[in-house]
Amino acid sequence: MSDATKTGAVLVVGGGISGLTAALEAAEVGNEVYIIEKNPYFGGRVAQLNQYFPKLCPPTCGLEINFKRVKNNRKIRPYTMTTVKSVSGGPGNYEVELETAPRYVNSNCTACGDCAEACTDEIDNAFNFGMNKSKAIYLPHEMAFPRRYVLDKDACSADCLEAVKGACKYNAIDTEMAAETFTVNVSSIVWATGWNPYDRKKLDNLKPESSPAIISNMMMERMAAPNGPTGGKILRPGDDKEIESIAFVQCAGSRDENHLEYCSYICCMATFKQMTYIRERYPEAKIYVFYIDLRTPGKYEHFREKLRTDANSSFIKGKVADIIAEDDGGVTVVAEDAVGGGKVQQKVDMCVLATGMKPALGEQGKALGLKMDGNGFVVSEPEKGMIAAGCAKSASDVYTCTQSATAAALKAIQNAQ
Amino acid sequence: MSMNVQPDIHFIRDMKEAGGDTLKKCFQCATCSVVCPLSTDENPFPRQQMIYSQWGLKDKLIGDPNMLLCHHCGDCTAYCPRGAKPGDVMGAIRAYAYKFYGWPTPLANLASSGKNLPFLVAIPALVVFLVWLISGSNVLPHEEFLHDGFSNFFGEGYVTLFGIKLLSRNVFFINSFMIPTAALASFAAFKGVTALWRKMSENAGVGEALYRPSVPQFVKEFLWPSLVEIVQHDRFKKCETNQERTRGHQPLMWSFIGLFFVTTYSFVSQDILGYFIPSLHGPMSMLNPVKMVANIAAIALLVGIVILWKNRNEMVEKKQASNTFYDWFLIWMIAGVGVTGLGAEILRLVGVLKLGYLVYYLHLVSVMMLFLYMPYTKFAHLVYRTCAMTFERYRDSAYVKNPVNNG
Repeated sequence: MSDATKTGAVLVVGGGISGLTAALEAAEVGNEVYIIEKNPYFGGRVAQLNQYFPKLCPPTCGLEINFKRVKNNRKIRPYTMTTVKSVSGGPGNYEVELETAPRYVNSNCTACGDCAEACTDEIDNAFNFGMNKSKAIYLPHEMAFPRRYVLDKDACSADCLEAVKGACKYNAIDTEMAAETFTVNVSSIVWATGWNPYDRKKLDNLKPESSPAIISNMMMERMAAPNGPTGGKILRPGDDKEIESIAFVQCAGSRDENHLEYCSYICCMATFKQMTYIRERYPEAKIYVFYIDLRTPGKYEHFREKLRTDANSSFIKGKVADIIAEDDGGVTVVAEDAVGGGKVQQKVDMCVLATGMKPALGEQGKALGLKMDGNGFVVSEPEKGMIAAGCAKSASDVYTCTQSATAAALKAIQNAQ
Repeated sequence: MSMNVQPDIHFIRDMKEAGGDTLKKCFQCATCSVVCPLSTDENPFPRQQMIYSQWGLKDKLIGDPNMLLCHHCGDCTAYCPRGAKPGDVMGAIRAYAYKFYGWPTPLANLASSGKNLPFLVAIPALVVFLVWLISGSNVLPHEEFLHDGFSNFFGEGYVTLFGIKLLSRNVFFINSFMIPTAALASFAAFKGVTALWRKMSENAGVGEALYRPSVPQFVKEFLWPSLVEIVQHDRFKKCETNQERTRGHQPLMWSFIGLFFVTTYSFVSQDILGYFIPSLHGPMSMLNPVKMVANIAAIALLVGIVILWKNRNEMVEKKQASNTFYDWFLIWMIAGVGVTGLGAEILRLVGVLKLGYLVYYLHLVSVMMLFLYMPYTKFAHLVYRTCAMTFERYRDSAYVKNPVNNG
């Protein structure tokens, strides 16, 4: 293929930490970049964390600077609520059909919040994994970029829609907005479609729906976050009890042929990190970590060693395979202690399932003609200009994601020239 | 604590052959021990048995009551995150143990491999055929079939020695192979159970006790409660995911108890009393209560084995178990005994002579198979599991637990 036919542009699918990094790296060396995001905001899973590795920064640190770089870079065209419909053409000149779902709020929005005050209908707050409610017209989260409200039209009654429209001083609410389809021509595509927490309801032996005291590690992040449903307090859902004991259930779905066959890489470190959240708030609380192996890649070893010395924490080698809901609101977790021998029945106030990463792209990837491995991760084909980045490629932490995103950007621009 | 690991490579190979080929996949997460409805808090299994198998620690396993306390519900295999199939491995350990404790060794080896199936069938088939040839009754009786049934299978009249009437021909020739077979199986089972008990005591560190239970005490406190538990299927019923299997095993067990009673009765009446009262020979009346028990038992046997057959297939489909010769051979043998037994009876009642004789012959062959291979095939669980359940009670009793009793 001659250079003349190449558009030189790059499409980045996914606006999390990997997508943002890849887009910026490609744009800052002069390439045209389209970055699309399915959610109404950029930032992805990192935005939902309380702190993230390697330095335990809050997500504002890191994401904000990236948002600013995106805003200031005229080479990047960001689209939220946008997904890929189809990919045609070939390497060097892909024609990609994109669709933007209606936000029902146009760019006049100043995020003043008057509409939300007037809104009478509520929806489950997806950003907080349904742990609280938000108004049907909402800003996805405090530092949402773009800073613009979204309307869940289907959840609103006619009266509510009228009230919301009436409350907006800027004529920003357009309930007639429809889905828009448009086409971009690009040389290569970076797939940074990220991950979803593994659905804990599928772990039937752990009976995750039997008690509100059984939460996931991502729910724990939201609880610990100052902008979360509890304002940063870690309380037992259901009765808001301050906890005196907590169990972490490692490998909840990961390294399991019946669920996720692979190690999700981040859950051990996430648990160690969350132990520090517990310690900050409850210096005396008993912490029990049930594990198969504790995997602390690279220099994270030190982090583990520090927590292993915690007098009120115990580490039990044995996977939790049964959880019994107790009458007092707590739960009993059951595991076999493979080192000490005998079964352990540990009663705790709350239990965290360290659920793993399931690649978010799923079946759609195959339909779009991507090469995928047996677990649903995208396999890069740089010669075709199809490049995977971050957790779409393999389960990884933020640090590894940014590395892989930078590498993806390099491959993408090589293909674009 | 250090441990000297001396892996037995032959053991690992044998395990693989007996259906435990997945054992190396285990990464010791211990999910199995928790989802197992039978394992206790103090003595969880099968996680420990998995690592012992991987390490080839044969001695630890063959003296481990837990391998026999497992009833292969299949929960462990269904929930195993690595497809290591702990349920199948436990089955393979049992298969290995029956072979290990089996006597005579060549027979035990023969009976524990599917490759030998032609021989396993041929031996009893040949024995019964030879006895039939020797009996000289190579002429099919044409008359009185409805009346005499199969009581002239080995010829009419009596066997005589120096002019003295010994036994009726049929009784004599059936006994000529069934009594030695039953005696061999009983002796082998006794020998095996004794060795297992010794090994389990040794492994559990049950030393010489100052006071040991007397035989009546032992039966009353340990053996009898185990038998009651077995008959009531208490442990089997805990296999929640596999209730269907209990529904098959229970009628089957009762039918064996019934048939044991009927066989004993007919041994006494035909072989002993029949010597003096020849009219006791021949088929019993259908209205004879003993015959009624026999017929009910035969039907229960068939119902039970059909349920178990179906269930075994379902377990394989649901990936709770693999297809192994060890599991299927017993199902086939019992199904064979049931089908040929009831088949011969029906053919007799409708008067189909030649086919009836052939089916009766097959019945004798399948019964001999069941007896002959009892101590080495899955059927051996009858004695070994009972032994382990009894040992479990003994191990937890004051005879062992009381330090005063263990000098």
